[in-house]
Amino acid sequence: MNRTLLFSALAILAFSCSQKETWFQMMNASESGIDFENSLTESDDFNILDYLYFYNGGGVSIGDINNDGLADIFLSGNQVSNKLYLNEGNLKFRDITESAGVSGKSNWHTGSSMADVNSDGYLDIYVCTVVGLKGLRGYNELYINNGDNTFTEAAQEYGLDFEVFGSSAAFFDFDLDGDLDLYLLNHAVHTQESFGHADVREKRDDQTGDRLLRNDNGRFVDISEEAGIYGGANGYGLGVSILDFNHDRYPDIYISNDFHEDDYFYENNGDGTFTESIKKYFSHTSRFSMGVDAADINHDGWSDILTLDMLPDKEEVLKRSAGDEDYDIQRLKVERFGYHYQYSRNMLQVNQGDFFNEVALLSGVAATDWSWSVLIEDFDNDSHQDVFISNGIPRRPNDLDYIKFVSSDQIKNKINSTKLVDQQALAMMPSGQARNFLFKGSGDYVFEDRSNQITPYDPTFSNAMATGDLDNDGDLDLVVNNINSAASVYVNQTGGHHLRVRLNGEAENTYGIGSKVFVYCDGKTQYKELFTSRGFQGSSEPILHFGLDQATEVDSVRIVWPNGYSKLITGVPAEQLLVVDTSGWKPLPYQKKKTEGYFEKVPDNLGLDFVHEEDSYIDFHRQNLMPYMLSNRGPATVVADFNGDDLEDVFFAGAKFSPTAIFEQQGSGFVQFPLRMSMEDSVDEAIDGVAADFSNNGEIDLLVVNGGGDFFGESDALVNKLYQQGENGFEQVSFPKTYENSSTIAISDFDQDGDVDVFIGSQSFTGDFGNLPDSYLYENDGGEFRLSQTFEQLGMVTGAIWSDFDADGWNDLIIVGEWMKPRFFRNDAGTLNEVNLMNSDISGLWQMIIQFDVDQDGDGDYVLGNWGLNSKFVADTDHPLKMYYDDFDDNGSTETILAAEKDGEYYPLETFDELAKQMVHLRKKYNRYQDFAGQTVEQIFEKTLSDSEVLEVNELRSGVLINDNGSFTFEPFDIEQQFAPILAGLSADFDADGTDELLLAGNFFGIKPFMGRLGAYPGALLDNGKFTPANQLGLNLANRSVRHLNILDHNEHRYLLVTVHNDSLQIYKINR
Amino acid sequence: MRKLIIFLVAIIALSCSSDKQYRENIEEFKKAELFNTSMKKLSDVIVHDIFSPPVASRIYAYPSIAAYEALIHDYPDYVSLSGQLTDFTAPPKPDQGVEYSFPLSSFHAFYKVGKALIFSEDKMDAYQESFYQDFLDKGMPQDIFDRSIAYGDQVAEHILDWADKDNYKQTRTFPRYTILKDDYAWKPTPPDYMDGIEPHWNKIRPFVIDSATQFVPEPPTPFDMDEKSQFYTELIEVYETGNGLDDEQKEIASFWDCNPYVSHHRGHAMFATKKITPGGHWIGITAIASRKADLDLMQTVETYTRVSIALADAFISCWDEKWRSILIRPETVINEYLDEEWVPFLQTPPFPEYTSGHSVISTAAAMTLTDILGESFQFADTTENEYGLPTREFDSFLEASQEAAISRLYGGIHYMPAITNGVAQGKEVGAFVIENLATQKPAVAKND
Repeated sequence: MNRTLLFSALAILAFSCSQKETWFQMMNASESGIDFENSLTESDDFNILDYLYFYNGGGVSIGDINNDGLADIFLSGNQVSNKLYLNEGNLKFRDITESAGVSGKSNWHTGSSMADVNSDGYLDIYVCTVVGLKGLRGYNELYINNGDNTFTEAAQEYGLDFEVFGSSAAFFDFDLDGDLDLYLLNHAVHTQESFGHADVREKRDDQTGDRLLRNDNGRFVDISEEAGIYGGANGYGLGVSILDFNHDRYPDIYISNDFHEDDYFYENNGDGTFTESIKKYFSHTSRFSMGVDAADINHDGWSDILTLDMLPDKEEVLKRSAGDEDYDIQRLKVERFGYHYQYSRNMLQVNQGDFFNEVALLSGVAATDWSWSVLIEDFDNDSHQDVFISNGIPRRPNDLDYIKFVSSDQIKNKINSTKLVDQQALAMMPSGQARNFLFKGSGDYVFEDRSNQITPYDPTFSNAMATGDLDNDGDLDLVVNNINSAASVYVNQTGGHHLRVRLNGEAENTYGIGSKVFVYCDGKTQYKELFTSRGFQGSSEPILHFGLDQATEVDSVRIVWPNGYSKLITGVPAEQLLVVDTSGWKPLPYQKKKTEGYFEKVPDNLGLDFVHEEDSYIDFHRQNLMPYMLSNRGPATVVADFNGDDLEDVFFAGAKFSPTAIFEQQGSGFVQFPLRMSMEDSVDEAIDGVAADFSNNGEIDLLVVNGGGDFFGESDALVNKLYQQGENGFEQVSFPKTYENSSTIAISDFDQDGDVDVFIGSQSFTGDFGNLPDSYLYENDGGEFRLSQTFEQLGMVTGAIWSDFDADGWNDLIIVGEWMKPRFFRNDAGTLNEVNLMNSDISGLWQMIIQFDVDQDGDGDYVLGNWGLNSKFVADTDHPLKMYYDDFDDNGSTETILAAEKDGEYYPLETFDELAKQMVHLRKKYNRYQDFAGQTVEQIFEKTLSDSEVLEVNELRSGVLINDNGSFTFEPFDIEQQFAPILAGLSADFDADGTDELLLAGNFFGIKPFMGRLGAYPGALLDNGKFTPANQLGLNLANRSVRHLNILDHNEHRYLLVTVHNDSLQIYKINR
Repeated sequence: MRKLIIFLVAIIALSCSSDKQYRENIEEFKKAELFNTSMKKLSDVIVHDIFSPPVASRIYAYPSIAAYEALIHDYPDYVSLSGQLTDFTAPPKPDQGVEYSFPLSSFHAFYKVGKALIFSEDKMDAYQESFYQDFLDKGMPQDIFDRSIAYGDQVAEHILDWADKDNYKQTRTFPRYTILKDDYAWKPTPPDYMDGIEPHWNKIRPFVIDSATQFVPEPPTPFDMDEKSQFYTELIEVYETGNGLDDEQKEIASFWDCNPYVSHHRGHAMFATKKITPGGHWIGITAIASRKADLDLMQTVETYTRVSIALADAFISCWDEKWRSILIRPETVINEYLDEEWVPFLQTPPFPEYTSGHSVISTAAAMTLTDILGESFQFADTTENEYGLPTREFDSFLEASQEAAISRLYGGIHYMPAITNGVAQGKEVGAFVIENLATQKPAVAKND
């Protein structure tokens, strides 16, 4: 609860700051002297269609080349010559390019980086080039600093004169032998028209493949192959971020790859080799991955990663640009071609040690249009990391009108006859001039858009960026390399308390590249590692920067050098450049943080070898506009002593056409029980089940409710089934027939007549999503059930519990579901009457309800699982998420249209093509995508919208209904519980301390690629009002869709049974 | 008073001269070329709006029928198609005793139905308006003009009501194809990996054939990657033919590509080359043949109508088989088993392989044209000129359709059985439509 308070307090604080003030002031070239402009000239035979990265721009590096204490600036040009500007103080710069001899020898320069390659204490400059394409000549250039403001090009001597398609270069000591090695990031230039299998990456392409170069006494040797670095023809390397992500001392590498190729996450094995592990650590990544940077945004000492993509933020652009893939294509890529899940948006990957939680949608940094570079720094010195993103492309080649219409009308013949496109055709691509983005960080995942505090706030075509303190005033300034306009020099106006750390390293690593610095101040940890090649095609000043908020002194600073030696400095005053050398360093036992959980995974699952395999049915194939799937809500898990031997047995229901299974507990473990009779029927898809002695004959019966979202009409597979144990095992006995997709069972002797009665909730009608089904209460009459009450059009029910919320001795009923508010039915001596006990009207996408005394005041609170905040669904009380339901095209089948608020208006979430696929008449109304883009849902559907039914959601957060003397107030959980839908909860005394804790888990994948994958919830244990992430307790629940949590007693031990959708189940021994 | 008389005389004279001008120009309103041009406009919009081949065939058929039904009132030897086409009832009759320009009604009905079925209506407006104005300029009295337009509207609405019930609207929301993992089963193909087109086209109401399943071809060769198997042999035939194409074969393949949407990727830049559909190509041949045979307006409309109906039924029959056998494309199998880098000469269209659509529909169209214009009809096919492709000469319609069929092997997008059995399927559909669709009264037909 404390975190919630803290979070809202921060939000208020942030809000109260004036948003009009200038954060970054851009300097004119005439003031600064920096007149470099990366002017691009397109020609008929050299343009974006000939070279796909024609608009990637030049590079930029910041560093003090003459050791005068002033940061100098190098800018590389594509078709224009490079420039080196010497900082003469007071933000005045002098162009010394000619005298320095760095104007360039090649036809096309790309990324640049500064590093002391020859370890003489002076920064050298390395410039990447594109060579061999369309007659471009030259080689990658290495300018060795002579120490007198002149440079000597010496790439060949060092073995770095590559003739490749270069993106950027990162100097770092990968083998911790003390000298600087090099990761050379290159890019392929031909997009293949077919994906090809992912293993294309294993076949090295010398011109376009990335390279790892080991520094052998000043000579760089290509060890890519032996080190396990991919260099395939499908490597479109655009971004590189190097840090010791897993805290094993050895720096690891994150590579952003454009297009269908996966990003690479190279774990450094410490033995000269790397292991690519993207799938092991990441649920999904950006798709058209571009720039990347990493920093610890949440003060936990682990570096988090932000990768850029090109998702437009504005509706007018979004809806006319080619967007995410189709569900089937993505599946094809993943299942058939071996690629990872990739989605077209920025991804913020929060490092948990064992895996990364992706939270960009929750954080508010997912959509920044055609983005190139990102730098994460504390730009306002408030001790929290902020984000700056460069943006814009001269032509948007993914404009749908261009793709579908322009070519046919304007350039058809030209393409056919010459396979070329001329200037006129190029001009038809709309401009993608865009503003840069500035986000203020809160230290707590959420970033606030403060882009309008960049002055002037004009659109540009901005590519590479670098940061450094150009005016030595203690805040970080920025230099951005722009296409067709002067480079931007953004001067930071914030000031504030700060500490800057410069590391004077050992012999061959003079700038201490790869060092880690921990700053402890005001009870907070700040953590940085010194790597200068960051973002995109640029390198920043080799100084670490820490904002200190209100502090004027830092408690302590710990420096860990690449070799593991360390130094702790205490009581460091703020507002200084702390220069640290290696004197007095000591070896530090540096170890990966260990999880010390009391949950211990049981390798053989105690013999419970049930694997849930979902069938191949895709709901979107039948109802294209459904917001999420209904067909993947199983399986049902029931723990009960079925055979009366006082040992708990387990029942699992299979997916459609997969058999159910019962496991009998024996002394040694669990053994699958041969199934007989009607239960062999594998057609049904049971969503929930409950075991009880319904017939009061001393034997356990089993009731399962069926759904699956596929069967329709009066299909027997939709009928709920009651089984009683007879001579031959379970036999189906009669139970009232219904044909909705059922979702949940709750049992109770609500009429207190001595037998168990049943509530069954219904979620949907197959093929008619949006139509609200009835739910039912059945009264048990000597083992025969009869309908006691119909809850007409109750809603899309997902969960229900019986609980005596008014403490009158009669069990009441609470029902939750999607697109509805929690519904309370008071039991008046056997009659259920709806009552309103809520203090606020909270419609959610509720997934479950469980009773738990959260505030420990002795009464029953109710924990509600909801959708979470980390998706494209956005909703609050003032701006609910809306779902319109009607037969919009009057063809006898209904559609649902989802709309969410953006800047005060409602827009459909789906693209024009997806909407028009279902409602063809829209294509008549909108002949061009640009006509559709920016249209509100009212403008698109006009009168039909007001005639339709509207369902709303105004609360997406999971939380708790606090019982306050019989009335209920909703309190949302903290933000870490909002990373994904919460689907399962279990209240038990896990740690054997005499009071119950609540374990929560979730994640959900039944959504379209434009929504992504909701897998970022690792689960959490709520104990004494405080959440502990489940991964810290030994549970491995992230990126898995957990449906049920159960306790199993076996051989005098307690175990946790985790039922996972479409996966093996998990068993953990509870070591308490 | 005098003034009034003079004024009246002037009015009479004016109207007389208008009427006279109308009579003198009467042939101007019946020019077959107006219909050829209108059909071309429709084809252009179909290309622009990117309709798939089966959908395009539907868009050709209904406007043609509308034009036909409105025009026959000037041609007593012709009969209505009502009662001959499935569920098609007789359109409203024109009023007796008043004068119409049925050619104008016919054009109007054509445009109205055509525009209802395409998206970019404005692209047809300009031409339509210009020749309406031309009719008025050439003296068509306003009352005849208005009445004819009104009648055209009536016929068009009748046709649209009927078209509305052919299940097209419903099939828009029928389930999409879920990719089967089986080896034999079709998978989306590069570069766009598009969804399978129209998996429920067999549920569209046919025009003349009894049902989509009336002419089911024999099943395709069973998928079998044993090197001695029939399937493997047929696969190798596609692979090796593709690897050894000569210039003539390449020209033939390109000429009959008829892919409405060929997608090109250049990095983030994408663009499409768009062409007429296979059906559109045969509509183009119909125009060439009608002109060469110097058909009058009625014969021209009749020819388009018969060809477009044969095409539409052929697509229904073919698509029924495509989504029954759901056979995998050669490109997918070759990439998987033989040669990862192999690319067919033509871009593989986004639907299952068997039978070849071009083979089925070309044969049905060629038979229809042969029935109307004779077996030895020489023509120079210039249809694809505007898409940068050369003219090809043919001695008969069937020669052209046979070339269209075999072009799919050269293009690397079909195995041989899809072609041979596709031609057979097209023959059956074509023959059935010829036999069961009467446009002229029997006696006249014999005299012809």
